[in-house]
Amino acid sequence: MKNNPMASIASFQFPPTYSFPPFFTPQPNATTRLSQLQKWSALIQSWCRHHRIHRLSLIDAVESPLFHNAPLRKRIPLVEARKILDWMAEGEEKGGGGRRAEWIDGGNKTVAWIWWRRPEEWAGILADWIESTGQKNVVLTVYELVEGEETMSKEWHGMDVDVMMKSLNVLVKRGKAQVFGNEGQEGVKFF
Amino acid sequence: MASRRGVGLGAFANRSQASQSYANHGANLRSTHLSSLQAQLSVFQSLLHTFALEHSSTIKSNPSFRAEFARMCNLIGVDPLAASNVKGKNARKGTGEGASFWTQIMGGDMNDFYFEVAVRVVELCRETRSENGGLIGVQECRRRVGKGKAIGSGLEVTDDDVLRAVKSLEPLGSGFSIVRVGNKQYIQSVPKELNTDQATVLEVIQILGYVSISMLQINLKWEKARAQTVIDDLLADGLVWLDAQGEENEYWSPQNLLDDSG
Repeated sequence: MKNNPMASIASFQFPPTYSFPPFFTPQPNATTRLSQLQKWSALIQSWCRHHRIHRLSLIDAVESPLFHNAPLRKRIPLVEARKILDWMAEGEEKGGGGRRAEWIDGGNKTVAWIWWRRPEEWAGILADWIESTGQKNVVLTVYELVEGEETMSKEWHGMDVDVMMKSLNVLVKRGKAQVFGNEGQEGVKFF
Repeated sequence: MASRRGVGLGAFANRSQASQSYANHGANLRSTHLSSLQAQLSVFQSLLHTFALEHSSTIKSNPSFRAEFARMCNLIGVDPLAASNVKGKNARKGTGEGASFWTQIMGGDMNDFYFEVAVRVVELCRETRSENGGLIGVQECRRRVGKGKAIGSGLEVTDDDVLRAVKSLEPLGSGFSIVRVGNKQYIQSVPKELNTDQATVLEVIQILGYVSISMLQINLKWEKARAQTVIDDLLADGLVWLDAQGEENEYWSPQNLLDDSG
């Protein structure tokens, strides 16, 4: 994580739900539970977006304000956090949260991608940017894309390189970009 | 008349003549009364008409003015929304026979206004049903409708507007109704009868924010089983949320959650 989450906590506005004590208890009623999961998914996404987190470590997260409301003395334990992310990772067609999370460490379920934008969505944004800045057929390094001055104001600035690669690979599959070079020194050309 | 009782056969004729003229006079009185009432009414209607026309923009834009106007109409027995539900398109011309009072005066805008509110109320109820079990406070509803979803889509409305809008849905058999719990009004979008115990518990939650089984036992002198049953029912209907992280299970009303679900 490039940004220290603790640094900007003060500016993150928690939704009113966060101060609602039952929010931290898995609801016994199935319908209510669904509503609860949707709210958690939305909160986790906006939290990660605010802090520019793509890779969420549950072990850390359960101690962070996201899952631990200290003033209210309520918390989401690890087991429950896993259930919420499991639900987020499920596709909407299966009654899940539309693949807004993805386990990175498989069965261990301790680290997950939080897709507040999915790689396909990033791909679209990148392609638009390339188009509007007239950089088609120009070769850029991935480092430039992520850390360069030109992208300073962009949402993907400072992004996890793995996420960037996933997004670029979407463009490669669509035939809109080509990635070359050794790992760690990749360059990319957009068409 | 009674003192000067007529004698002879002539008296009969006199008497029937007298009653005839009484009847005539009565009819006269009635008809003048009626026509003067009719005159008054038409004068009043035209005044109301001019008033509404003159202030139509204010009525449309100022919610409290609108509420007062609607209240005045109600007081004198004019139901602004009566017979307005089917005529949608024709009513726009404003002169159609079946057009409602509002339509005649305001050229359809007013009906459109209430339908717009009604549509938003229905949307909101549907969106939040899984969160609140189909029971939403009129005030919370008004606040949300007032905010709108997109920028600039807020509608400034009063509680009265919301109630009126819900009422305008009645002919559709929509199952939307207004229920009163304690001193608060709710829109209920799931057909369900709250029994007395359930209503009592909801009222307690309104006041205290939450309840627990022991609170019900102590304050209402209920048997544990009775309290448990009511709570279980409310949970099953999604009307309360469970917090199991305290010393004792607490049950909260989701009424204040609304603000962030948009």
